[in-house]
Amino acid sequence: MILLRLISWPYIRKHLLRWMLTLAGIVLGVAVFVGMHTANQSVLYAFRQTVDRIAGATQLQISAGETGFDENVLDRVQAVPQVRVAVPVIEAVVSTALAGQGNLLILGVDMTGDRGLRDYDLESGDAAVDDPLVFLAQPDSLIVTESFARENRLAIGGKIPLSTMQGEKRFTVRGIMKSGGLTSAFGGNLAVMDVYAAQKVFGRGRKFDRIDLAVSDGASVDTVARRIKALLGPGFQVQEPSARGQQFESISRIYSLTADITSAFALFIGMFIIYNTFQIAVTQRRAEIGILRALGATRRQIRTIFLGESVVAGLAGSLLGLALGIGIARVMTGYIGALLGEVYGIAQRADEISTDPKLMLFAVVLGVITSVVAAFIPARAAARVDPVQALQKGKYQQLSAGENRTRRVSAFIVALLAVGCVLLRKYHALVYVADALAVVAALLLTPTLALLVARMLRPLLKLLSPVEGTLAADSLLQAPRRTSGAVAALMLSLALVVALGGLTRASYDSILTWLNVALNPDLFVTPSESLTARDFRFPEAMVDQLRAIPGIAEVQGVRDARIEIRGTPIMFVAADVESLVRRANVPPVAGDARTMYREAARGRAVLASENFALLRGYKLGDMIDIPTPRGLLHLPIAGIVTDYSDQEGSILMDRSVFKRYWNDDTVNIFRVYLTSGATEADVKRRILERFSAERRLFVLTNRDVRRYILRLTDQWFGITYVQIAVAVLVAVLGIVNTLTVSITDRRRELGVLQAVGGLRNQIRRTIWLEALTIGAVGLILGLAFGALQLYFSLVIVVEDIAGLRLGYEYPYQISLALLPVILAVAFISAIGPAESVVRGSLVEALEYE
Amino acid sequence: MIRLAHVSKIFQGKRQVTALDGIDLEIGRGEMVSIIGPSGSGKSTLLNLIGGLDTATSGEIAIDGQRLSGLSDDELTRLRRDKIGFIFQFFNLLPTLSCMENVSIPLHLRGWPKKKIDERARELLDLVGLAHRMEHLPDELSGGERQRCAIARALSVYPPVLLADEPTGNLDTHTGADILKLIRDLHQRLGSTVLIVTHDIHVAENCARLVALCDGRIEEDRAGKLGPVSMGGKL
Repeated sequence: MILLRLISWPYIRKHLLRWMLTLAGIVLGVAVFVGMHTANQSVLYAFRQTVDRIAGATQLQISAGETGFDENVLDRVQAVPQVRVAVPVIEAVVSTALAGQGNLLILGVDMTGDRGLRDYDLESGDAAVDDPLVFLAQPDSLIVTESFARENRLAIGGKIPLSTMQGEKRFTVRGIMKSGGLTSAFGGNLAVMDVYAAQKVFGRGRKFDRIDLAVSDGASVDTVARRIKALLGPGFQVQEPSARGQQFESISRIYSLTADITSAFALFIGMFIIYNTFQIAVTQRRAEIGILRALGATRRQIRTIFLGESVVAGLAGSLLGLALGIGIARVMTGYIGALLGEVYGIAQRADEISTDPKLMLFAVVLGVITSVVAAFIPARAAARVDPVQALQKGKYQQLSAGENRTRRVSAFIVALLAVGCVLLRKYHALVYVADALAVVAALLLTPTLALLVARMLRPLLKLLSPVEGTLAADSLLQAPRRTSGAVAALMLSLALVVALGGLTRASYDSILTWLNVALNPDLFVTPSESLTARDFRFPEAMVDQLRAIPGIAEVQGVRDARIEIRGTPIMFVAADVESLVRRANVPPVAGDARTMYREAARGRAVLASENFALLRGYKLGDMIDIPTPRGLLHLPIAGIVTDYSDQEGSILMDRSVFKRYWNDDTVNIFRVYLTSGATEADVKRRILERFSAERRLFVLTNRDVRRYILRLTDQWFGITYVQIAVAVLVAVLGIVNTLTVSITDRRRELGVLQAVGGLRNQIRRTIWLEALTIGAVGLILGLAFGALQLYFSLVIVVEDIAGLRLGYEYPYQISLALLPVILAVAFISAIGPAESVVRGSLVEALEYE
Repeated sequence: MIRLAHVSKIFQGKRQVTALDGIDLEIGRGEMVSIIGPSGSGKSTLLNLIGGLDTATSGEIAIDGQRLSGLSDDELTRLRRDKIGFIFQFFNLLPTLSCMENVSIPLHLRGWPKKKIDERARELLDLVGLAHRMEHLPDELSGGERQRCAIARALSVYPPVLLADEPTGNLDTHTGADILKLIRDLHQRLGSTVLIVTHDIHVAENCARLVALCDGRIEEDRAGKLGPVSMGGKL
């Protein structure tokens, strides 16, 4: 410790800027890790809290995915002997017409029995609620939380406008819940309504979303759960309320994974930057090390000093990263919450972030370990410094030819192994191994490749500026080790950008193709502004009503819902397959187009989306067991098609099957085709005129839907763009860091150049050109290595994460855009070091050691 | 050739240090002068000021009639590259460049054509006796050879003034004598003005004129024992 204070601190203080730059990699890595995970956890925590608070004394919840179930299920459950109380629930999120209030979570409950489970803690004098029958007799009744009432200046008898299936309706506040427990669910934006009124308001027909129950005293919850499961069959889930968080977790796993990749990448590049800085520090401090050794310091003590510095650096970087991460979490929590709400239709409201001490500790440890690992080799080199040689001035160290050859041979062997792994990639994990090996091979080859590219660039530099260009190129050619760290960091960062860019581009293209082929109706009629929200549904009768409107040629009613298959909620799309195929003939990925649609239309098979098949391991012809309220439905997969309805995959079945097995004829969305000559605007107006008085509906044109889907896609890729931004930022930091250390390292050399007649501008231009060359070399290697990384990304991310087979398409546009960005960054980062050289003392530079 | 009038150099810091205190010195064209003095006497500072590497706090310095005060950094650099050659104690060769390339650098900076640079570099390396080491890196040379290479670099444009800071300070006795002999030979053959800073009296005595500094002032200015190079085994 005393050595750290006496020896390390003065050095760090003298080169504070450089150390700050060095820490940046760790800061970014830790920040992204903590930020994204905290945001994820906060959203999850908010969701769980809402679930938990709404659950009250509920011990078990019965549901059937998102499809709901018939009212008679309640009677069957209530008849189970050990069930103390079982009450029906409908849960929906509606938008309020109140300014600034956003969404309100409506809980439809049966007030006659529900108070056995939930304590509404009503303010006194609520006679209407105290007598449930009075509450029932008035279907416009609503109980709101005290905070909601206060914010909107609502009292008993106050009116709240809500959008319902019958259009906007005014509800009357008949009760106000005091603060505590239930009222803090969904950030306080919670209202309670009679369950039968809710059925009407949300178009649920005679169905409930859920049954909440508590068991009799002394009865085992597990036993009761098993008994009910056996009673109701496989179409129902009987779970403790906390299990609802699991579905949410499975969906948010992709965010966690993305966050992990980004932070691992930032830390990996951070490792390079730290390695580079320590390597230079060891070179610069050779004399100091020599003196310490001469004074009796052991090799171990020298190593400890450098490792100690790396611990301090890692700790400082991690702590700064924590602070930044919490900032990121604050921004991302809202973003992820909104995204999950919109893409998956999962309601939650995260107003504050919840920090996890274990996560924080893990992040700090990760940051410190990264720093120590990076500093290990330089620290070992420091310990091996020969005191006699170190005390001689004017000695430099160079990469020996032998070391270079060993690197090349190792790179070749590692690359061969990578190719071997790719050839054997049916063993899935080997693809990851191959990718890791490819990275190692590229890193080993970086000095050689950098040398090669720099040699190729030399004539160009000479042409640009005969003297300075040659000096700049030679500086890189003669000391490849000095710059190979920056080139490697730049190469990896840019490769990631290319891979992510290519992935985004391919996904976009694929989605656009799907939009063009499958999403071709002229109009879409939906009960909600959001295409993913499934809280409101239309009755089937509307199909004929719509058909009767002049200008409409065909109407397809589609019902979609998530149903649990082997514990994962899978999106089911129920539509009239025959009509669907007639209008949008999607060529299958697998299966016979002539027979598969026919089989599906007859209800004898289902069609699986490609991502479902890839992610869940189903093949053409496989049988799939679908749990329904009427028991297990056992159907083969007759075809596999491209479908982007859901990221976790989807299953298409004929609506007749859905109606039969789920006893549900409601519709989420109508696909409307116009007769020739009819205009979208006219028909849209007619639909709105026909229905707006009696129900809530939205008519979207094909263009609107495309825009909506592309906006969602953009939001989804927003995280990818964050990754790209981090990658570019890290690359920039790498360049700035290397130039700073490289210039410091060469202060004497540049001093000599000035002493023997180099003009200020010549020195400046030499440094600028050197920086531009580093940028160009990194760029060329990065874009080339990116081509390989894109291949791996397509295989790994696509087959393991999204389950989409995407075409290989090199992102030329992104590469072209990177060219000026990286060169400009390289140039800008050279300005500071160049000025410090030309403005610094020449005498000091010549004496610099 | 070199004229200093009331030149002082004061280093500001926690403690103010007067390195040179009102130096008056005139060195004629073609003279070979040694500046001698103990550590801290100001001899290196004096050399840096004459070489335009540093600026005087007060007083006036002129090289070949051109006053240094008031010159911009680029003007100083031009003066340096046209009129002054530097020889350093620690050679200051660029470690990644060969002898040939090290000698070529100042000529590259002047924008000479490559052919002319190659010719001159060969000629210079031949002059200092390193014709057989042209493609060697500094690390592959002995101390004496390194200093010869540095001298060749200093002579790249045959500057009228050659400034040497302890040119033998980092060499053994025998090699030091060789280098000193080389400098004297070059002085005689090229007729340049040579200024050698040293703390070694034997090196100093081998110059035509000896200027002794102490505490930033000239203590002695007399003729040296210029004659055949004889180090008496002491150098």
